[in-house]
Amino acid sequence: MRLWRPRLSAEFLQWFGLGGAALVWAAQHVIGFGATIARCGAGGARFGIDLHTWELATFTTALLFVVAAEAAAVVTVLRTRGVAYDGPPPEGRRHFFALAALVGNLLFLVVVLLSGLSTITFDPCRQA
Amino acid sequence: MSTPSNTVLQSPTGPVATGRVAKPNGLWGMLLFVATEATLFGTIFGTYYYLRFTNAEWPPAGVPLPSVAVPLLLAFVLAATSAPMAVLSRAAQAGELARARAALVAAMVVQAGFFAMQVNLFEDDLAKFQPQGSSYGSIYFTMLGAHQAHVAVGLLLDVWLLGKLARGLTSYRVVAAQSIAFYWHFVNLLALLVVGAQLSVRV
Amino acid sequence: MAVDVELSPPAIARIRRLERIWEEPRGVLGWLTTTDHKRIGLLYFFTTLAFFGAGGIEAMLIRTQLAVPNAKVLDPNAYDELFTLHGVTMIFFFIIPMTVGAFGNYLVPLMLGARDMAFPRLNAFSYWLFLGSGVLLYGGFAASSQAPACGWFCYAPLNTAGYSPGHGVDFYALGLIFNGISSTVAAINFIVTIFKLRAPGMSLNRLPLFNYAMLAVSFSLLFALPPLTIDLVFLELQRKLGFHFFDVAHGGDPLLWQHLFWLFGHPEVYIIVLPAFGIATSIIPTFAKRRMLAFPLVALAELLVAFIGFGVWAHHMFATGLATTTLVFFAAASMMVVVPSTIQIFAWLFTVVTGRPEFRAPLLFIGGFIVFFVIGGITGIMFAAIPFDQQTTDTYFVVAHFHFIIFGAAVFPLFGGMYYWFPKVTGRMYHERWAQASFWVTFVGTALTFFPMHIVGLLGMPRRVYTYPSGVGWDSYNLSETVGAYILTGGLLMIFANLAWSRFRGPVAGADPFHGGTLEWTTTSPPPPYNFPVIPEVTSPYPNWDPPDRERDRRRLERGQLVLDAGHETTASTVRDGLLDEILEMPSESWWPLVTAACITAIFAFLLTSHFAIAGIFALTAALAVVGWHWREPEEPEPA
Repeated sequence: MRLWRPRLSAEFLQWFGLGGAALVWAAQHVIGFGATIARCGAGGARFGIDLHTWELATFTTALLFVVAAEAAAVVTVLRTRGVAYDGPPPEGRRHFFALAALVGNLLFLVVVLLSGLSTITFDPCRQA
Repeated sequence: MSTPSNTVLQSPTGPVATGRVAKPNGLWGMLLFVATEATLFGTIFGTYYYLRFTNAEWPPAGVPLPSVAVPLLLAFVLAATSAPMAVLSRAAQAGELARARAALVAAMVVQAGFFAMQVNLFEDDLAKFQPQGSSYGSIYFTMLGAHQAHVAVGLLLDVWLLGKLARGLTSYRVVAAQSIAFYWHFVNLLALLVVGAQLSVRV
Repeated sequence: MAVDVELSPPAIARIRRLERIWEEPRGVLGWLTTTDHKRIGLLYFFTTLAFFGAGGIEAMLIRTQLAVPNAKVLDPNAYDELFTLHGVTMIFFFIIPMTVGAFGNYLVPLMLGARDMAFPRLNAFSYWLFLGSGVLLYGGFAASSQAPACGWFCYAPLNTAGYSPGHGVDFYALGLIFNGISSTVAAINFIVTIFKLRAPGMSLNRLPLFNYAMLAVSFSLLFALPPLTIDLVFLELQRKLGFHFFDVAHGGDPLLWQHLFWLFGHPEVYIIVLPAFGIATSIIPTFAKRRMLAFPLVALAELLVAFIGFGVWAHHMFATGLATTTLVFFAAASMMVVVPSTIQIFAWLFTVVTGRPEFRAPLLFIGGFIVFFVIGGITGIMFAAIPFDQQTTDTYFVVAHFHFIIFGAAVFPLFGGMYYWFPKVTGRMYHERWAQASFWVTFVGTALTFFPMHIVGLLGMPRRVYTYPSGVGWDSYNLSETVGAYILTGGLLMIFANLAWSRFRGPVAGADPFHGGTLEWTTTSPPPPYNFPVIPEVTSPYPNWDPPDRERDRRRLERGQLVLDAGHETTASTVRDGLLDEILEMPSESWWPLVTAACITAIFAFLLTSHFAIAGIFALTAALAVVGWHWREPEEPEPA
């Protein structure tokens, strides 16, 4: 079976590496929090929202994207290995952002894990 | 539009861009302004859903469900004005003054009509239920009112632009046309989102 | 270019032309119509200092009342009004306008190599709006003798008409909506300036760290202010027109107020502290005599703190009865938000340790900042744990935490920055020994005022109480806090006395007394109205440490390249890579910003007094002023 490998531009990889994890964490955060408000509020009961399913779905999607963003950052750093972080653009600028993204994405990985793992295990609407 | 000749310069990174490449400052300003207004509406939509899910009855007893056909149709009609606004923007950039003016006038007529119809519907709704009656009424009328205010501002911008274009096309006015067109794309998208929120109560 | 080199007559002639093109009228007229970012920065500086004084007096009254148990200095309502005003004044009328309006405005174009902000008249407009909102708020309180007494966060249902009758809360709501317009407009200006007006060669990876901080602050302001505005609009609709957002009986929810408020309120505290990070990252490399270690990580950390800061708001609501599954998102994000700040702390410390540090006054203030920020950060992280937060919420432990951060971590760098850039702004050097003494007094005062609050909070003293009983074990702590506050006031007076005296009697400083790395040090002290005689070209984030580039600038001045002495011009760049994109004609002095701001002030004044028709008339005049503002257009650029 032929695997179709799209050629992703260096520019796209740099920006996805920098922003992908951040944006997907934001989505997991908003959707995840929103789902708890919907499920646990007085008006939400009739919709039959299964909180654990929603949280599991957002958690796994977020994880995938965070890992993909980190991969993009790693690829960009390797491809711009020889350039100084303050070197001429676009290579220098890509190296700079990819270096930063390398560390930043780890942070988002941990946040996604922390919130995801707890919301798929906790009692849905028990008061804190 | 390109850089005057005293700026021939070999930058360390290679030749400089000749002829503007980046988005003009005025357009960036409008983009950012739209971002802040989008956040405003995001907050309003968030409030709508928050109140919806914290209320057992939504809308509360005695408040009629919103009608579907007319609001939906109106929203699509307004959204359609993104087409002449896009023509305005492109024609202005290409230097085609007559076409730009025509597109602007066409859009304005429809937008003004939308505004008038919406005011009418707003008054009809007010006769049936009031914001002072419930949180549903409060957020409903605030959401619609906020959108209407943005439509009104858009109309004022249209009038101003028409006045400017009456005296010809300059690079400043081209940026103005691009920016105002972008503002309208935002307001038009909002029209669809507002009617979506309004009608979501029927789900 | 180096300032002290000999220039040829043609180069000098070009500079004279620039001076003629860029000079503004003298006297009051010049200040009222100014569009020069440096003058606007100074206007912000002195106005915010006045509000700092007001907020400080409010604080001293609070501390005096709390010095001993059962004191009768203030009655309960006066106390409530004072702590509300103290919070509102310090946050909205001191720290944000000081860091963004004063420091940001003055320094950002200089550090970018530009001649002004992207929208100079909009810049003036944001200042006059800020002044208008402050005058309206304080004037309103004075005229009606009614001030809000609900705390700076003014929770529902206390903020509703039933529990807070009178105008106090209305002043608060309308005043802050008004103030928000000023900050939003300023944020847009900063973002476009940082994106578009950079010197050729300044790609995003060569942007100075102070500008990264200002970029993060500006985006935060842009996205954080709307929730506050909406919350306040909801409040006024409920108070004035009987709408229902926050009352349970009609389907509202008091927690809605809190969600929306803290959606603004938490990013707000990062808005407060980020410019301080920017100042610290400017001062440290200069006095450590080396570049910032891990520069890309520090730049990212500034953006990350702002971004993650939008996801932590409900940690102010851990004790409100929300579900665990709701709160856990915020606990997780609150634990993570400390990591970028930690990256910065390690970068700062290792930069100093691996450099050749010279502990002059600015660096001492940064040292104090790091001490307070570490302690305040640790207590902050403690709050991320829901059980701990539920025990300490609404106690003095919280007051201790945020004052360590707001005063220790946000204000200390401001003083460091005032000393550091004093020679650049005034052309004179401050008195070094006096400055170092002022640091120690301020440091001791700050520690003595705010550290005991941790202990007394853990001993159970609640916040926002106008007095406390004796014999519970809180007396000595409160007394030391008050003594500390007086010592702190002494330290602050020493700082300002030094600056004031040195302004007139200090020795001449020259362009680059500290050998800083960024572009403001390449031009004269104070900078001329046009900032740079030739637009500089940069190849690193520390252009003043690149002598070959500065030499190339001087040669371009001689050749007349990028001098832009044909008009009121500056260069625009591409956003990502800082390539030269076009020459922009900038507006010069104008009455429109002041006139438009005055109309908008009138709108809010008449809304406050419920004269809606007159407010409407001023809305019309404001619209006409905006049309007038946009009447004249810049000259068409020449075709190639």
